[in-house]
Amino acid sequence: AKFEMTNLEMKVGQTLKLKGKIETNIDSFAINLGQGADELGLHFNPRFNESIIVCNSKGGGSWGREQRDDHMCFSQGSEVKLTVTFQSDEFKVTLPDGYQLTFPNRLGHSHLSYLNVRGLHISSFKMD
Amino acid sequence: MACGLVASNLNLKPGECLRVRGEVAPEAKSFVLNLGKDNNNLCLHFNPRFNAHGDTNTIVCNSKDGGAWGAEHREPAFPFQPGSVVEICISFDQTDLTITLPDGHQFKFPNRLSLEAINYLAADGDFKIKCMAFE
Repeated sequence: AKFEMTNLEMKVGQTLKLKGKIETNIDSFAINLGQGADELGLHFNPRFNESIIVCNSKGGGSWGREQRDDHMCFSQGSEVKLTVTFQSDEFKVTLPDGYQLTFPNRLGHSHLSYLNVRGLHISSFKMD
Repeated sequence: MACGLVASNLNLKPGECLRVRGEVAPEAKSFVLNLGKDNNNLCLHFNPRFNAHGDTNTIVCNSKDGGAWGAEHREPAFPFQPGSVVEICISFDQTDLTITLPDGHQFKFPNRLSLEAINYLAADGDFKIKCMAFE
């Protein structure tokens, strides 16, 4: 079952900090942020089977074009800390080793109300 | 009251502690934290009332089982102030929920639904969650 939050009220300029433990025996995990399951400004999806991080957006239920980053610094079963900063033009994701990746705010969202997390057992959630 | 944050599939187990930190609005009248299985099955409705429903500075707790409210419990302690940041800790076992208020005061509320996991959390009213931790 995936961890889900609605009515998040995350505004431009805010940062979300997530801590959790990556599950074992999974091919990938994902953090999705947007305005609903079919309106995702950021789909952040590290894949163990391909050793790559895939980011994408979903508008009106349709996926956009994938952006791939080979800085795959996650391992199954490990504790991780991630931050996502929401800016008007892009999302900035800081990985546990400090590496930052960005993904454009393709849907032009000015606030985010929805979060879901799959394959990562959340132990802490913080919004600044 | 505006509808606040809703979190589901928390999978909080007996013995674990949920820590919630948030901001109480400057003109706060009342706020709510609901915990349980879903919106109709709440093992804890935690409702500090600054000035609402005829109560002043009182915490009202209740449960909801299959959509039906149980008997209200009123806790006289009230370490809340409008316009402040507060932290509340909630843990549970098969018999009770233990609520720790911002000043350290603890009280228990019976786990009337005998839930084995808390999967649902919702905030409502004059309170904005900034931080949550599951320990």
